[in-house]
Amino acid sequence: MDPGAARRLEAKVLNTPASAASRKLLAALAPAALAVLTACSGSTSESVSTAVQDTSSAVATARIALRQDLDGKLTRAATATTLDDALKEAQTSRDAVLKLSPAGQEDRDTQKQALEVLDQCAAGFATARASLASDTGGPSLSDGDEALADAQDALDDLSQKVGSK
Amino acid sequence: MKRLLGVALGILTAIGGFVDIGDLVTNAVVGSRFGLSMVWVVGVGVVGICLFANMSGRVAAASGRATFEVIRERLGARAGLANLSASFLINLMTVTAEIGGVALALQLASSVNYLLWIPVAAVAVWLVIWRVRFSIMENVTGLLGLTLVVFAVALFLLKPDWGSLAGQLAPAVPEHETFWTYSYYAIALFGAAMTPYEVFFFSSGAVEEGWSVKDLVQSRVNVLVGFPLGGLLSVAIAGCAAVVLLPSGIAVTSLSQVILPVAEGAGKLGLAFVLVGVVAATFGAALETTLSSGYTLAQYFGWSWGKFRRPAEAARFHLAMIVCLLVGLAVLATGVDPVLVTEYSVVFSAIALPLTYLPVLIVANDPQYMGEHVNGRAVNVLGMVYLVIILVASLAAIPLMIVTGAGS
Amino acid sequence: MTSSGDSLVPAPRLAGRTLDAQLHLMDRQVLDHDGVPVTTVDDLELSGPALEAEIRPGTPAPVLTALLTGPVLGTRIFGGRPPSSRLIRIPWEDVAEVDVVLKLGVSGERLDAGWVERWIRDKIIARIPGGRHDPR
Repeated sequence: MDPGAARRLEAKVLNTPASAASRKLLAALAPAALAVLTACSGSTSESVSTAVQDTSSAVATARIALRQDLDGKLTRAATATTLDDALKEAQTSRDAVLKLSPAGQEDRDTQKQALEVLDQCAAGFATARASLASDTGGPSLSDGDEALADAQDALDDLSQKVGSK
Repeated sequence: MKRLLGVALGILTAIGGFVDIGDLVTNAVVGSRFGLSMVWVVGVGVVGICLFANMSGRVAAASGRATFEVIRERLGARAGLANLSASFLINLMTVTAEIGGVALALQLASSVNYLLWIPVAAVAVWLVIWRVRFSIMENVTGLLGLTLVVFAVALFLLKPDWGSLAGQLAPAVPEHETFWTYSYYAIALFGAAMTPYEVFFFSSGAVEEGWSVKDLVQSRVNVLVGFPLGGLLSVAIAGCAAVVLLPSGIAVTSLSQVILPVAEGAGKLGLAFVLVGVVAATFGAALETTLSSGYTLAQYFGWSWGKFRRPAEAARFHLAMIVCLLVGLAVLATGVDPVLVTEYSVVFSAIALPLTYLPVLIVANDPQYMGEHVNGRAVNVLGMVYLVIILVASLAAIPLMIVTGAGS
Repeated sequence: MTSSGDSLVPAPRLAGRTLDAQLHLMDRQVLDHDGVPVTTVDDLELSGPALEAEIRPGTPAPVLTALLTGPVLGTRIFGGRPPSSRLIRIPWEDVAEVDVVLKLGVSGERLDAGWVERWIRDKIIARIPGGRHDPR
């Protein structure tokens, strides 16, 4: 038998909606890419208010965890993990604000104010973590909660300021 | 009596097996941001997965053919390969997310960093796949996953204002969110409820357990009772988040936030239950997704597969799963946030749904495979309705992801 | 396989079942005589004149000679054709039954189509402790 005669039978591919779907997706991607470009150049105050919102969520989480720990509802391991996770989120927001490139004086002021408040939050987290780690001598759990509560107030003030702009 | 026990066991494992890291995270995120205004999406998703799992189970029992064999036969080699690539990658992403979920839950239990738990979790997954019987694996993780019922218990212990909670049930966009983020999370929630891997797994599992047409009744009962109850569990997760986290302005971004409401309502005992439940559910899902990646590859290429065979008798299947676990480990070792991986994996699951749904729908109507067990008219009407829903969700997902910046 | 190209004579009626190569053979699962999956039908090999050769009247219709697997799947999807020596063949004589799956009348152990599986089994999987353990 002539080996070259091996004929290939190409199975006809059903034209499924799936393949049509991918084409439509491509068509949808073009305007979407534009949307990304515009989204990246969002204003400073917008980015700051997002960061403030995220940090405020993290601080609120940490406060709930501390209170639950005080009430004996949460184990140390779970409280510590929750604080770590919340701190990580606050850090991410702080990095985002740090990396902003403000356009004018006003934006620079906003960024500076935000960084001050976010630093206060970071300090609050440090107190909270210390209160969890030390059973004697260090700050107590309620000290930690107080530090976070102050941070939260500062965040609220800031978000009102940024929001009104 | 034995039969009744079998049915009960099947239902219980279906409930426990319904929830995975995608359901846990997505429901908590949605509950903390949108309250209960997306419960309808869970409803739509649960009916969809019942329909879909039932169909693929019936195909497997009537023809002895698992989903991906059928997909290749119907779509041919080329479209089948495109389908395989998409399904496989999303499945791999889900494997990664589930293993990360196991590690995160173990960190909550031990305060040892989750990165150290990841290799432990991956090795444990591999060992179970390597040595443990399919039915034992399914039943143990499913039953332990039932401890997630503590979400529902905690919701009652929190003594929420039921009236206002019920008031949130109507589909509506909360004022601080946009219509687009609402739609984006609706699709994510739909994808979480209807994850395609459950279908590969369900149909391949039917072959693994040697189902015949006789077993169809039991499988139908398992699905039709177990999945809706699993859906209720999902709603309870969202409800807990809506009661405790939403009023404090907390948007869920980590697993620790998912379990806080349970501790709030049910204390340390509740915490213990929920941690066992999360580990069992994510571990069970890690097993299912790892097996599913082996199933899809083996079925496309026609390799010998199945846990009912000795590993040496399904060598490429087992090697493929080992490689998948290693890839998942490598991804997690980069320090990427498993919760973030989860959030993307559920959306991509929604995008890929038509790829698996459509071939199953076609074959379930093919008498050559199904004999007398082809779809009835009512099932087909529902099947077409869901085809439209799935296509719309799939097409809208990527534009929405870009417009909303992935829901931020 | 009933077509004989553009000949004017209608195709002769053949005894037995008519199989559509695309519908009933291509991309179907192949099992050996014990029901163990061997491969999927990645392509088919037909006898007959070479592709470019002129077909003279009276040339016998091409006959299905083998199921193909291996690298041919890649070339079928992405184009090209592997050299004949690289084709992995399962002779058509070994096929015992054509249904939703193709059943062979022989054991998969000795087929060329199973060499990758056997290599991975002998070199990797069987060497891991428990690799030959029966899960039941």
